[in-house]
Amino acid sequence: MPTLNRSALALACLLLVSIFCVALYATLGVPKPLAAWKWMDIVSEGGTSVMSALWVLLILAGRPGGRVTWLLAGGLAAIMLGTWADCMDEFFIVPKDQYWDNWLEALTPIGMLTLTVGLYFWREEQFSLNEHMQKRERLFRDHRSFDRVTQLANADYLRRQIRLEQKRHPQQEAALLLLDINHFHLVNREHGAREGDRLLQAITHLLLLNLRPQDLVCRYAGDRFAILLPDTAAAAAGETAAHLQRVVALLAHHTREGARIEVSARAVCAQAGSSPESLLAELNAALEATPPLRMPAARFA
Amino acid sequence: MNLAYYQAGTRFIPARHQAALLLEYAHSQELDSDALLRGTHLFERDMLATDTRISPADYLRLLANLKAALNAADTSFMLGQLLLPGHYGNLSHALLQAGSLRQALDILITYQAALSPLLAPHLAMHGDTAVLYWTDSCIASGQRAFVVEMMMAAVAGMTRWLAGERLPWQFRFNRTRPSHIEQYAVHLGSALRFDDYLDAMSLPAAWLDKPWPRGSAMAVSAALAAVPEAERCRSLLATLYDYLLERVRVAPTLEQVSAAFGISAATFKRHLAAHGTHFQAELDQVRAHVTLQLIHTHGYGNEQIAAWLGFHDANNFRRSFKRWTGLTPSVLREKLSQPGT
Repeated sequence: MPTLNRSALALACLLLVSIFCVALYATLGVPKPLAAWKWMDIVSEGGTSVMSALWVLLILAGRPGGRVTWLLAGGLAAIMLGTWADCMDEFFIVPKDQYWDNWLEALTPIGMLTLTVGLYFWREEQFSLNEHMQKRERLFRDHRSFDRVTQLANADYLRRQIRLEQKRHPQQEAALLLLDINHFHLVNREHGAREGDRLLQAITHLLLLNLRPQDLVCRYAGDRFAILLPDTAAAAAGETAAHLQRVVALLAHHTREGARIEVSARAVCAQAGSSPESLLAELNAALEATPPLRMPAARFA
Repeated sequence: MNLAYYQAGTRFIPARHQAALLLEYAHSQELDSDALLRGTHLFERDMLATDTRISPADYLRLLANLKAALNAADTSFMLGQLLLPGHYGNLSHALLQAGSLRQALDILITYQAALSPLLAPHLAMHGDTAVLYWTDSCIASGQRAFVVEMMMAAVAGMTRWLAGERLPWQFRFNRTRPSHIEQYAVHLGSALRFDDYLDAMSLPAAWLDKPWPRGSAMAVSAALAAVPEAERCRSLLATLYDYLLERVRVAPTLEQVSAAFGISAATFKRHLAAHGTHFQAELDQVRAHVTLQLIHTHGYGNEQIAAWLGFHDANNFRRSFKRWTGLTPSVLREKLSQPGT
């Protein structure tokens, strides 16, 4: 993996420079007697340096390359070297007529400046990513809640969102909609789980394209999607349900091998007045009460 | 009676059966095969070789690896969809052509070793209700819930596919209500009950004999005729269960049973301990299951059940039942009369 190599390379560089720094102090400076060592300073400066090095590695391992990544990592690396030089100061006395150690220590504020610029651009980057996440999340983020296949939030996130919506806008009517793909299990049986996942991804895009910015789409479980519609009356929710069923039925989905899959969906909705658990139980029961039409026998061959 | 049985460490499951399905699923989820095979003696190239055999313990290890690596609430349910009818040669052909639910379940139970090596299915009639319940064959305690989800999803998925419609299964689980209840709701349906004594799925008995659209009696018997007799064996615990169920009224002793199994009592004890259980626990389980059946089918009171099972008196039975299940018979009757949620 390239990110791992990048981290390994950075770790090697940081180690080399730190060792070089120690050597520099050891050759040009005079060692302090053990009695003059200030342990608190050594621990806090050395600790800051080690932590900064760890942050550099985490940033490089966790982020794709690019301007923001380099600014953050570069800033932290400079802070690491600056504090490391500071720490060396505790062990060696550098003659007053030499200035190189001051330059080394000046790396700390320069690093902080670079890090700040990096954070500013990171914030801008975040705004554009938020736009991408619209309708997939609302108000708070929890990365553990995202489904790997569809990149939608899961049922747990949905339940928390329903509760939050009820708490934030007790006067407003919100609606919850469940949408279930008809005969989805046959897609898995006939074309494999990979094709099933591709169909779920297609449906996800379709739903995202057909909803308002304030709506939230979650993958409830399996082939069942849940959509939270804030500030929506029953009639409007019913229209949305009908509309989503129409667009799903119009989807011309093809497998990777080019086979056309007929898709249709059932949707039910209710006003989100009760607890998320009872609301979802009620909607699940409503979906089960309206089973899809039996597949024509030809599908079985 | 046929007393050929397998144990948790017996290597008899062809790797290209269940293990290959797990590998295929891991690949479809973009999971490295190393993560799946970690801690087993297996390599990816072995999986498709015809002569590689794995033990139930290996199979459990693969499942545990997959569960940990994917860390998704739907893993057991998705695997279940793949496992039945599966790709097990003639047995899968027989299942695909089964004429009715009864025939499919009959194949599943008879060929448990090949189709469900970790969990033994049993079919019982509780009055007008057909109950398919599952007992341990070779399960580590922490993995039971996962395997139960997997096998129930497998049977529910297969019967839904072959019947051409969703069957009205009602599910009961010997576990507390899970946090991922939505997976149960979507993959199994809303008729769920937790904190139950059994892991069971039931439906009205009339569904057992409703003909299935793809059924072909001739194809089934041809396919089954080609299945080696050796594949009819069951697990040690399932064999013991069946043996005790037949003789539950006389409550055989450990010595009698080990003699019937053709091994010494000490060896038999050791085998059971290796499966995390002991003789009395297995006997109590059978007696508890029979009690449930008697209550459901005949509405027996404590007196009648005590007499049927050979207890001295109803009090004695009541105390024993509490020890087996944690509930007195009257509390259990009360629970049974409540509608499932």
